[in-house]
Amino acid sequence: MEEFLQQLTNGLAVGGIYALIALGYTMVYGVLKLINFAHGDLFTYGAYLGLTLLTSLALTDRLGFALGMLVLVLMVMGLVAVLGAILERAAYRPLRESPRLSAVVSALGASIFLQNALMLLYGARFQVYPNILPATTLNLFGLYLPLMRVLIVLASVLMMAALYLFIQKTRIGAAIRAAAIDQGAARLMGIDVNRVILLVFLMGPALGGTAGLMVGLYYGQINFTMGWVYGMKAFTAAILGGIGNIPGAMVGGLLLGVIEALGAAYISIAWKDAIAFLVLILILIVRPTGLLGERVADKI
Amino acid sequence: MKQHLLALVAAVGLVVGGATAQAADTVKIGLMAPLTGSWASEGQGMKKIVELLAEQQNAKGGVLGKKIVVVTEDDGGDPRTASLAAQRLTTQGVVAVVGTYGSSVTEASQAIYDEVKLPQIANGSTAIRLTEKGFKHFFRTAPRDDEQGRMAAQTIGKLGFKKVAILHDNTSYAKGLADEAHALLKSQGAEVVFFDALTPGERDYTAILTKLKGANPDVVLFTGYYPEAGLLLRQKKDMNWQVPFLGGDATNNVDLVKIAGKEAAEGFYFLSPPQPQDLDTPDAATFLADYQKKYNELPPSIWAVLAGDGFRVMVTGIAGAKSTDGDKIAGYLHKDLKNYPGLSGPISFDAKGDREGEVYRVYKVDAEGGFVLQKL
Repeated sequence: MEEFLQQLTNGLAVGGIYALIALGYTMVYGVLKLINFAHGDLFTYGAYLGLTLLTSLALTDRLGFALGMLVLVLMVMGLVAVLGAILERAAYRPLRESPRLSAVVSALGASIFLQNALMLLYGARFQVYPNILPATTLNLFGLYLPLMRVLIVLASVLMMAALYLFIQKTRIGAAIRAAAIDQGAARLMGIDVNRVILLVFLMGPALGGTAGLMVGLYYGQINFTMGWVYGMKAFTAAILGGIGNIPGAMVGGLLLGVIEALGAAYISIAWKDAIAFLVLILILIVRPTGLLGERVADKI
Repeated sequence: MKQHLLALVAAVGLVVGGATAQAADTVKIGLMAPLTGSWASEGQGMKKIVELLAEQQNAKGGVLGKKIVVVTEDDGGDPRTASLAAQRLTTQGVVAVVGTYGSSVTEASQAIYDEVKLPQIANGSTAIRLTEKGFKHFFRTAPRDDEQGRMAAQTIGKLGFKKVAILHDNTSYAKGLADEAHALLKSQGAEVVFFDALTPGERDYTAILTKLKGANPDVVLFTGYYPEAGLLLRQKKDMNWQVPFLGGDATNNVDLVKIAGKEAAEGFYFLSPPQPQDLDTPDAATFLADYQKKYNELPPSIWAVLAGDGFRVMVTGIAGAKSTDGDKIAGYLHKDLKNYPGLSGPISFDAKGDREGEVYRVYKVDAEGGFVLQKL
């Protein structure tokens, strides 16, 4: 039982990261019906920008730990969001009216470009974050819970909840939902669809970049290819939850993390990815639109 | 002789499918290395070393009176990319190939080179089966896994550990080493309480560590690579788990300590051929000084240095065979090259192309993150 709970928390911490990245995939897909393959790389940029800002500005020394961290998170969010917007302008907007395949190829190209640009800028070696997080480990009934893991899960859930409320309760959120249902009709209702798309490309990367920063801070080791594995997993999580659906991405991410941890614990470590994908296939057989996905007429 | 050589050039030209006519005043040596991908730091070290050595050799007059040109192709640390890289090298008129690092990557290229009789010398590939396939043009400066497996079992015995957990990462290198050590440990009476594989390239290995801890081993033998080893050590420390780790030679990289942090890395044992700075051959001292002068750093690991040895061996082979014919070079390396003074010690090859003699040492990470040679 103790080991089960331990593995459950292990899974939730990993899943929280997947979920944050998955939101970016799902929002872009919801509005543009495009899989933004470069999203995993924006996650990596978050990790690298965080490292550079952390080491060059010494924020935590100047502003104190909590405030310094907050400023760091906001700066990374802002910078990665700008990157996301540039990506949209450069790689996707010119192809808006082209066949969908062109945009997918452009996404793959952007991913390769971003990854290799990072390698040329920072070098191919692993980069390592300075170890500034308090190494407090909570001990709950024999359960080992490093404080930072708890904070990672809390921070991801908070950000996801904020995003959900934003999408559901604000006028801009309503505009995003409208554009996701029918861009043409939304335009006729006076919604500036280009701005909605820009907004989606600001918010998704901001969350993905924050996830990258959290991975860097907690795991310490980053490299320019890390976006591939995380991107793949997050993409899977988005499909698992129902792509295009925001709560679905959250549920899918957390669930995928937990399935992986429990699969590793009780079946086989080497097979954990196979198990996770098997569960994905089974869920898609029963519910082709994913766990929370709705059947929308124009969805492919 | 000249006619003979011309005929040879023509024949090679035919074999590689009508490649461009070869410039007769240079000797091209190929280098296949992981310049990108997760082993990129190794690959870039290999490139730097081979380029430095080629420069020095050219200053001494090249080989066969011709200038050496190094043609580099990126294998990305990936078998699929490697087979493409190998095909590109075979069509560029190279006479020998140095590389590469990962065993599965080398494996994907072996047949391609052998088919066109190009001598290949791998620097980091230690999987046993690479030299068990009867390729006559394949050599390696790296030792074989079974030697390392023996050393791992022996070291665990000497350190007095009884219950052993073995973790690999399903690459052909890590699994080969894990299997070898597994069999030897069982035969020497140790209990293997855990045997499984992790997925390389991830960040969070707490699920695996939680399960490992449940098996309660005296020591964990991890046969994978340094990025994962560093994360395992770091997350193990976060769990307050004190078990010692023993790593295979792919954990021998200075980045291991950077990833794990000094505190978490302290006490980590690993097996490896000697570190670049522990090399005691006379050539090594000058080489390290030259390398540091040119690039302002130390070579990333011994594997990159072994690529340098591979390059020097190939140059010696070409000079010794007085020919750029693949069969003649391979024949010379098999039979006539005895105790060549390499950077990593004397080099000779057996009939399979394996390097002869003991290469491995045991290292331990100290509190400062330094790698200290152990006498067991």
